[in-house]
Amino acid sequence: MYLIEKENVMKIAEELAKNYELFGPVVDKGTGQVFFDRVNDSSEISLSAEIPAIPPKHVVFPQIERIMKYKYDRSAKKAEIEAILDNRSKAIFGIRPCDLTGLIVLDRFFLGQEFVDEIYREHRKRMFIVSQNCIAPFKQCFCVCTDSGPFADEGYDLNLTLLGDYYLVEAGSDKGKELVQRLGLKSADPSYAEMKKKANDKSISLFESIATDNKAWISRVMNRITTGFIKEDVWEYIGKQCFECGACTFVCPTCSCFNVEDHNRFDGTTDRLRTWDSCSFEGYTKMAGDHNPRHPVEDRRNKRFFCKLSYSQSKKYLRPGCVGCGRCQWVCPGDIGLPNVVTYIRREITE
Amino acid sequence: MNNIVDGKIVTVPEIATIEEIKDEIQDVKTFYLKFDNPEVEKNFKIKSGQFVMLTVFGAGESAISLPPSPENDRFHLSVRRVGKVTDALHALQVGDKVGIRGPFGNGFPFEEIKGKNIIYVAGGIGLIPLRSSIVHALQHRNEFGRIIVLLGARTPKDLMYQYNIEEWLKIPGFECYVTVDQPTDGWTGHTGFVNSLIDKANIPVENTVAFVCGPPVMFNSVINDLMKRGLKDDCIISTLERHMKCGIGKCQHCAIGRTLVCTDGPVYTYKQIKTLGEEI
Repeated sequence: MYLIEKENVMKIAEELAKNYELFGPVVDKGTGQVFFDRVNDSSEISLSAEIPAIPPKHVVFPQIERIMKYKYDRSAKKAEIEAILDNRSKAIFGIRPCDLTGLIVLDRFFLGQEFVDEIYREHRKRMFIVSQNCIAPFKQCFCVCTDSGPFADEGYDLNLTLLGDYYLVEAGSDKGKELVQRLGLKSADPSYAEMKKKANDKSISLFESIATDNKAWISRVMNRITTGFIKEDVWEYIGKQCFECGACTFVCPTCSCFNVEDHNRFDGTTDRLRTWDSCSFEGYTKMAGDHNPRHPVEDRRNKRFFCKLSYSQSKKYLRPGCVGCGRCQWVCPGDIGLPNVVTYIRREITE
Repeated sequence: MNNIVDGKIVTVPEIATIEEIKDEIQDVKTFYLKFDNPEVEKNFKIKSGQFVMLTVFGAGESAISLPPSPENDRFHLSVRRVGKVTDALHALQVGDKVGIRGPFGNGFPFEEIKGKNIIYVAGGIGLIPLRSSIVHALQHRNEFGRIIVLLGARTPKDLMYQYNIEEWLKIPGFECYVTVDQPTDGWTGHTGFVNSLIDKANIPVENTVAFVCGPPVMFNSVINDLMKRGLKDDCIISTLERHMKCGIGKCQHCAIGRTLVCTDGPVYTYKQIKTLGEEI
């Protein structure tokens, strides 16, 4: 454990910017909205900004990404394929514990199954992560219900906790330790561990006023979804509310469905693009010949909540697929963000 | 980057040349392929029931099932023209290049069904993925009981692999029954849906597995009839088809409930299919 004065904390970002492309929470001057963006200078980063509108998953899994380029000369019968991998070194500064858990889920999914996703691995290989614990929740947060906050306990290189005038700095990797030493940060005495624990307890206690409805129900709902004990008409109700806009999946830190498309360019080459996709779109499962096995919208909604809250999916992630950031609740025009779905299912169970 | 893992081409397609094109039935052609890289050609090994991701340059990538037997068979794909990528594929000629990734998927069980009777029920181009297994079973003829193929198509012109069937009929103990829904002039064979062949062939029930592949309507009625005859749901095996983008279990397009067709499938028993909770 180390300490850095509050006003000096950006020195860590400045040091990282020397060797990494830096990403951090930035407040848009016009709209006041917070985005997790690439910054040219560490002064653009605002650590005190609220949770970004879109999670930093785009740093490892861009919304549109060129993964391959090829050229086929049909008259000469000559094909050339070039794989495109992102070999930049990237540093994420100030990621919140929910989004950090989202990254861990993506890691386990992309790197941990039968096949390794090489494109994702390349993004992730040289990354440096500085996380920031939440000493107070924001209004839509429920990470305490999904075991992903308010304090981070794994997955970071450095972790920051604001304690009074100081940030407590914890190193989670050799890379992190090395950076702390390079900056010459002073060690924190053991009493700070106790202060950090108190800050954690206080942060958790602040959730009681904002997350009452869904607390403790997520695990019960997971059980129900897994065992299929939810009545068809509950899914139908939820499905009918869905606008099929896909916003919930785009702002979700753990949603990682993608589409692959080939785009021909005027110079005769073709780009293979990998883009975010959403299970709520009608064309998502449609096959050539127009057969669509998953047609009604409730089938598709059902799929997303199954993905976030069933045990079988959790086995892939080694935790629930939901990290409690509350963004889907925030963006959903149909009022079926995940916390609301939990509430609908809770009502069905209890009433 | 490791592009070839366990003999599977995972990330970047390997280039293959179309060596021969054969017209099968209407809108279906067979493409015989050879990898340009001799090392890849030598190490490319498939299992019956698997599929490959086929890139047609300039059009895109599609999942295509594998009809060749894993042993002593030329690498080929039989493809119906049905969408953007397959349209572009049908426009290609001998000498043109395509990209291949794979093979992916679990494949048909082979060791488990040794010593049993096998019934193949195919509707139309449903015979394409089953062909691999049929040829493989015939290559190991003495390891199985009766081998029966029940084949149905809309019209006599829609019967896949006619020349193959004639060849297979020379193998002792191989039975094949063919039917069409809409007979044309000169058709002397059986008329009716493929389930009507189940009685005609007097299929065995004990120690028997059935492989079923065809359009969803046919699939459901055939399975009903097989179950009525007394076949257990875990002895009925099929291969599912889904929209796929990656083939390696990442894009999630082929997810049905808890299973991914690309890595857990595409071969499932009917017992498994029943629990997936989605249309076939």
